[in-house]
Amino acid sequence: MRLYAGKMLIVDLTANTVSTEPLRQEWIREYWGAWGLALRYYCDAVEPEIDPLSPENVVVIMAGPLGGTLVPLASRLCLVSKSPHTRTIFESNIGGAFGPELKFAGYDGIVIKGRAEVPVFLKIADDRVTLESAESLTGRGIFETEKLMEAAIGTPEAKCLAIGPAAENLITFSMIGSESYRQFGRGGTGALFGSKNLKGIVCRGTGKIDVAEMGAFLERISYYKAHDLLTDDNLWAKTDGTPILVEVTNEMGIHPTKNYTRGFNGRKEKLNSDAIQAAKLGDRACFACPMACGKFTRVNSAEIEGPEYETLCLAGSNCEVNDLEAVIRFNRLCDDLGLDTMSCGSTISLAMEMTETGRHNFNLHFGQVDEYLKVIYEIATLSTERGRDLAQGAKKLAAKYSADDLSMEVKGLEMPAYEPRGNYGMGIAYATSERGACHLRAFPIFAQDPHDIDALVTEVVNAQNANGIKWSMGFCDFWGTVNTQIEAELMSAGLGEPVTAEELDRAGERIWNLSRLFNLQAGFTAADDTLPKKIMERPLEDGSQAGRVFSREDLTYAMQMYYRQRGWDEQGVPSQKKLHDLGLDQLCVKECRS
Amino acid sequence: MKKQLFANPDHCTGCNRCALICSALKEGAFQPDKARIRINNFPLRGYSVPSICFQCPKANCMDVCPSSALYRDADGVVLVNENLCTACGTCVSACPYGMMEQGAAGIAYKCDCCGGDPACVRECHADALLYAVGDSEQIRLKGAQMKYRTAVGTPAEKRHVMAEKLMKKARS
Repeated sequence: MRLYAGKMLIVDLTANTVSTEPLRQEWIREYWGAWGLALRYYCDAVEPEIDPLSPENVVVIMAGPLGGTLVPLASRLCLVSKSPHTRTIFESNIGGAFGPELKFAGYDGIVIKGRAEVPVFLKIADDRVTLESAESLTGRGIFETEKLMEAAIGTPEAKCLAIGPAAENLITFSMIGSESYRQFGRGGTGALFGSKNLKGIVCRGTGKIDVAEMGAFLERISYYKAHDLLTDDNLWAKTDGTPILVEVTNEMGIHPTKNYTRGFNGRKEKLNSDAIQAAKLGDRACFACPMACGKFTRVNSAEIEGPEYETLCLAGSNCEVNDLEAVIRFNRLCDDLGLDTMSCGSTISLAMEMTETGRHNFNLHFGQVDEYLKVIYEIATLSTERGRDLAQGAKKLAAKYSADDLSMEVKGLEMPAYEPRGNYGMGIAYATSERGACHLRAFPIFAQDPHDIDALVTEVVNAQNANGIKWSMGFCDFWGTVNTQIEAELMSAGLGEPVTAEELDRAGERIWNLSRLFNLQAGFTAADDTLPKKIMERPLEDGSQAGRVFSREDLTYAMQMYYRQRGWDEQGVPSQKKLHDLGLDQLCVKECRS
Repeated sequence: MKKQLFANPDHCTGCNRCALICSALKEGAFQPDKARIRINNFPLRGYSVPSICFQCPKANCMDVCPSSALYRDADGVVLVNENLCTACGTCVSACPYGMMEQGAAGIAYKCDCCGGDPACVRECHADALLYAVGDSEQIRLKGAQMKYRTAVGTPAEKRHVMAEKLMKKARS
């Protein structure tokens, strides 16, 4: 096949078997790859009511059609399953080089079913695929697990996906790591592997990816790389990477500080891009990416690729830890033990506020570094009472101690580092994301009027659809100007057959609606499309948006406008007409229909 | 002075665009495993090392070839005459840097500097690759890299030995 490897790997851990099957051709032109295709495979395999951590649940990992080629920023790998943290449909994508390696080994994706009797890891050496005992890996951190799996396959050129102790302990915000500092973040991807007794996957691929006509394909890549990617709109990623957002969000007054009490951090200089540049040893890139947004830093003996903006804010400003070395140490511990830095940071900042307001004493205080670093290990290993408490995540922690006015999550997913009171668009994005509070579905922070609900609803809907197909192509967020026209041209050149922007647009909307159907069937309703109490009731302090709330009335209005624009009814259920238009009414997976 | 290929690992981001364009042009498909330039990544330490053919002034591969299939062109680049190559693999074992390999039919292949305009250099956005006459610093850096020779092992192992040594030095 062209662009695609053409094969799926099917791993049944209960039966201890590995097999392959051809890629489902009839789904390709509807779902394309990565997110979309993984979602389609997933919906075909499970009932939406499924318990995410049961052996019956399935995990689908899928590369994109442009992954492994010279198309820049297009080699991300998606994972789709039901999240143990939110119990919604869930997608996460990872950079680095595992996705391309999987395609070079001959597979577009992996469907993982069942539960192994004893801990195992999956070893993929081109067409030699085996399940190996992971007994000697149990309890080890991600960094060491990757090294040992590389040794087991016999080459440091292999790429790994691995879990650490947090995931083995089924913590619902644990994650799968790769190449030390990259993750399938958010939502508990790690616990999905952990529940299946799957310690990791090591892959070495030596094969090739074909295209229709190499010269024409390379010409299109060079053109869009020079004329669209490497332009002022996107070059911040090369020069600064995500830390640039520390100054941007503070300027906008939407920089979460002190567990979302304030919108401005007066000590931002400790964590901003200048601080990162001062600590930088070099730039790091994902596969085939000329931007290299990863900044490898060192402060004293603490080294890491990062920290990225979300961590700088949620584990820095939001915990009032204005100390880059401490944030690096936090980040590294989370990456090795296997915890999502956003959820972990947000849960700790909640515990800090609960302690300081007398709700419950966790001995965690804003700006106090020692206990903040100590508690990470306690969470990952469930070794203390407070560790076990915080390991539940913000929503359950707050519920246990009657502090739901302080917990900052939507559908159980801790909020990203953009304050919705200062930008209603982010609030609309968080409330409507299929996986809970998420900034990777729509990102309207640069909207002209951050409180114009009508305009922001339109922007959010358009961005969600665009990202539906963008993540299905395997693209990275940071090619900010890529669009379905460019995607269609690259696909056409690679496949040697015409692909139109219109069919890609429709696919994005189709993916969004299928996710919605899944969540409705899983038991979610319009009442879950909401925001934290603090956002709706307590005015934001400090910064240029001080005094703002995103009131319940405004949110109700925004949701009604959103549903209408989506072609959904007042309860947020897609209309039959919308489903028909998208070809979802014919969907043979009846369990995905509401 | 003639132009030559230089690699500066301190600037390499590990992206592999060089290996991708190399395989696309030499093999007609995206296949980094068959590229004539290879990247060794050490993500934990945030370091990457490009492995390039140094076009050694005294080239082991040429010395050991029993059929004289390897020759040097006017630019100093060592090339394979595929008609003379008997697929014996002697040059692969002889190269101390792991930069000679064999294709499907056993025919040896190596970097040919694209006839004087290396595509890898054009694809590198990190200034980690350079095709130039070279200043004294670049020539010194290349000399330092060439000291890390390995007599035994697969090409991948030899490349990794040098890369790991350079990484440890840079990240000490």
